[in-house]
Amino acid sequence: MSSPFTFKPLEIPPELEPLREQVREFLREAGRDWSGWKVGHSWTGFDKDFSRAVADKSWIGMTWPTQYGGGERSHLERHVVVEEMLAAGAPLGAHWFGDRQSGPLLLRLGTEEQRRRFLPAIARGEASFCIGLSEPNSGSDLASIRAKAVRTDGGWLLTGTKIWTTNAHLCDYMIGLFRTGGGDTKVKHEGLSQFLIDMKTPGIEVRPIRDLTGENHFNEVFFDEAFVPDDMLVGEEGNGWKQATSELAFERSQPDRFMSCFPVLPELVDAINKRGSPDRLAAREIGATVADLVILREMSLSVLGQLAEGKTPAREAALVKDLGNSHEQQIPNLARDLLDLPATIEQGNRLSELEGILTQNVPSYSLRGGTREILRGIIAKGLGLR
Amino acid sequence: MSTEETTIGELLAEQLERLFSREVDRERIVAVEQGRFDRALWDALEEIGVRLALAPEEAGGVGLTWEEAEPALRTAGEWAAPVPLGETMIAAWALGRAGLEIPDGPVALAEEIMALDEGGRVSGSASLVPWLSQCDYLLVVARQNQSTHLCLMDRQSLELSAVDTLARIPSSRVQCHKATPIDFAEIGDLVGELGLLPHIATLRTVQMAGLLDRLLSLCVEYGNDREQFGRPIGKFQAVQHMIAEMASQAAAARVAGLYACRQVDRNRAIQGATVAKARTGPAATRGAEAAHQVFGAIGFTDEHILHYYSRRLWQWRSEGGSENWWAERLGREVLAAGGEKLWPHITAPATADGEDS
Ligand SMILES: Cc1cc2nc3c(=O)[nH]c(=O)nc-3n(C[C@H](O)[C@H](O)[C@H](O)COP(=O)(O)OP(=O)(O)OC[C@H]3O[C@@H](n4cnc5c(N)ncnc54)[C@H](O)[C@@H]3O)c2cc1C
Repeated sequence: MSSPFTFKPLEIPPELEPLREQVREFLREAGRDWSGWKVGHSWTGFDKDFSRAVADKSWIGMTWPTQYGGGERSHLERHVVVEEMLAAGAPLGAHWFGDRQSGPLLLRLGTEEQRRRFLPAIARGEASFCIGLSEPNSGSDLASIRAKAVRTDGGWLLTGTKIWTTNAHLCDYMIGLFRTGGGDTKVKHEGLSQFLIDMKTPGIEVRPIRDLTGENHFNEVFFDEAFVPDDMLVGEEGNGWKQATSELAFERSQPDRFMSCFPVLPELVDAINKRGSPDRLAAREIGATVADLVILREMSLSVLGQLAEGKTPAREAALVKDLGNSHEQQIPNLARDLLDLPATIEQGNRLSELEGILTQNVPSYSLRGGTREILRGIIAKGLGLR
Repeated sequence: MSTEETTIGELLAEQLERLFSREVDRERIVAVEQGRFDRALWDALEEIGVRLALAPEEAGGVGLTWEEAEPALRTAGEWAAPVPLGETMIAAWALGRAGLEIPDGPVALAEEIMALDEGGRVSGSASLVPWLSQCDYLLVVARQNQSTHLCLMDRQSLELSAVDTLARIPSSRVQCHKATPIDFAEIGDLVGELGLLPHIATLRTVQMAGLLDRLLSLCVEYGNDREQFGRPIGKFQAVQHMIAEMASQAAAARVAGLYACRQVDRNRAIQGATVAKARTGPAATRGAEAAHQVFGAIGFTDEHILHYYSRRLWQWRSEGGSENWWAERLGREVLAAGGEKLWPHITAPATADGEDS
C-alpha cells in the first residue's frame, strides 16, 4: 500500500494479434538481408528507405490525429508495432526520434502551423529529427547549457555548440534547447526555450564524431548566428526546461530502453541447443533473463497506460529505464559467459556480429537519455530523500 | 483494475493495513516465532472476513479474483503478519471451487503433490509446510492415475516433524501414510501439473513485494533521521542510490506479484508463477542486502525489527520453488522451443485458455 510509485497493469488485447502478425510478416521480408552487425544498431540505425516503407504501412505517428497524417490508433497498437520492430532489431533511427519524441512534443505544444507542416512529414518517413540537448560542458547538468538564442528581426539567432547529437549529420530537423534568458546559477532552469531547427540553415555546421566502434553516429553541431524564424519556437519562450523534461517520460519508459540487445537471445538459445543438451546453469540464466524481460515489458506497458491517460509518470519512467538498461546491458555478457565466445568478429555469423557490435555499444545505454546515476537521483527524490 | 475508484480489494487491504499497523509489532512476531498461535490477531481477521475473500460466493465467500485480492495479500506480507492468512485464503479458494466445505480456522498448504489410492487414502510427503503445527488442517493435491483431487487432511492423521527455517515461522516436515482425508473431490483443471506450487509461489511473491515496500519505507525514514558527519545519511548520494535501487527492485516485485495473480485468474498460474518467482527472488536478495547496508549495526541486532523482515525475504525467495528452480524450468522450456519461438512466447496474449493443465 505504501509504494510511492504507480504501476497499474495494462494488457495488450488479443484483438491486436493480427496487427502483430502483419508487422512480423513485413519484417520477415524487409529484414531478409540484415546482418547481425546492422541489427545490433537497433533503433539508432538510420535507414531512410526502411522508414519510408514503415510509413507506407502507416506505422509512424500511429496515434496522431488523421488531420496531421496520423492514424488515430491506440497507444497499444503503436506499442505492438514498436516492440515487434525492436525484437527484430530494425533500423528505426530515421523516424524513431520524430515518432517517439518530437512529434508528440509538437502535438502537445506546437502551433497549428507547426503541426500541419511537420507531423505529416514525419508520418511519411520523410522528416528525420535529432535531439539537441547536450553541450561540451553540459551533460547531466543539462540546465547549465550555454548555447543561446538572441532575438532578432522576425526570429532568433542561435549561437553555441551541441554535442553527441545522434544522427545530426543525416537528419532534416533538430529540436534544440537554447538559452533565451536567465542563466545565473540560481535560476538556471529558467530562460530555456525549445526551437525547431532546419538543419540546412546557414550558420549550422555538423561535424561527425566517430564513436568507439569506429563508426560515425553522433556529432558536434556548431551554431554561428543561425537564424530561426519566430514561428519555429516550440511552446512557450522560457518554458523549455519543463517542456524538455516532460518529454522524458515518453523517452525513458518505452521498450527501446530494454530491448536494444534482444536479438541476441534467440541466437543464444539456438547456439546453446547446437552444442548439445543444455546444462542447468545455462537454462537457469536464460530463464532468469526471460522472466526479467517479461516483467520489464509489464512495467513499460503500465507507464504507457499512464501516459495515454495524459499523466507524466516521470519517476516511474526513470525506474523502468534504470532497470531496463541494466537488463539489456548484461545480455552480450550472458552470451559470452554461457558460450565462452572468442573475441573474434566472424562476418556472416549473426551471433558473432551481434556480440561484436553490442559488446562495444552497451556502455552507452546507461549514459544516453539520462545516466544511471541521474535516474537514481530522480528515484531517490521521488522517495522523499534529499 | 483500471479505474480510479477504490475497489473492494483495496478497501479490504486498507482495513488490514489499519489492523496490522496497530497490532503487529516485534513482540507479536517474536511470540509466534517461539511457537505461540496469535489467536487474537486471527480472531480480528475473522471479524473482517478476509479469510473467505477468494472463496466463490456459492461457497459463502466474497468471490474476489486474485487480482482483486492482491493488495490484501501484499499488505499481510508488508507487515509480516504472523498468521497463515494467505495460505488459508488460498485453501478457501480451492476448496470452494472444488465444491468442498471450507472449515473454520487456519489451513496449511502442501507444495508437493501426493498420491490417492483406490481406497481414498492419501500417501506422500511434504518437505516444508509452514504453520502446520498451528493449523487443524492441511490441504493437499493428490493424483490418482490421470485424475487430480483436492484433499483436506486432518493434521492429527499426519506425521509431523519440526523444521528450523530462516523465517522461524513454525514449520514442519510431513509424512502422510495412507491417511484418510476429511473430504476430497476431483478438481479437473483447477490446478495444473504442479498442483498448488504455483499458487504458493504467487503468494510468496506478493508477500515479498509487500515486505520490500516496507523495507523501502523504513530505509527512507532512517535515511532522513540518522545523522552522521552532521547530516542525515540520506543526503549521501551513495545511500540515496542504494535506496533507489531497492525501490526499483520493490517495484519490479510488485509488478511481478500482480502479474502472477492475474495469470491465476486466467488459469495460467504456472506461467505467472514462473516469471514472478524467477524475477522476485533476486529482488528479495538485493532488497535485503541494501536494507542491511543502510541500517548499519543497529539493523544487525536482535532487537531491531529489520531482521524479522529480511529473514522472511530469505525464506520466501525459496518457498514455493526458488527463483533458481523456476528460472531453470523456464529456461529449459525456452531452449526446447528454440530461438524462433522465444519472442512469440513472450508476447502471447494472456487468454483464459487453461494452458497450464
Ligand atoms: C550513444 C550516445 C548518444 C547520445 N545521443 C544524444 C543526443 O542525440 N542528443 C543529446 O543531446 N545528447 C546525446 N547524448 C548525450 C547524453 O545525453 C549524455 O552523455 C548524458 O546526458 C551524460 O552527459 P555526459 O556524457 O556529459 O556525462 P557527465 O554528465 O559528465 O557524467 C559523467 C559521469 O558522472 C556522473 N555524474 C554527473 N553528474 C552527477 C551527479 N549529479 N551525481 C552523480 N553522478 C553524476 C554521470 O552519471 C557519469 O557517470 C548521447 C550520448 C551517448 C553516449
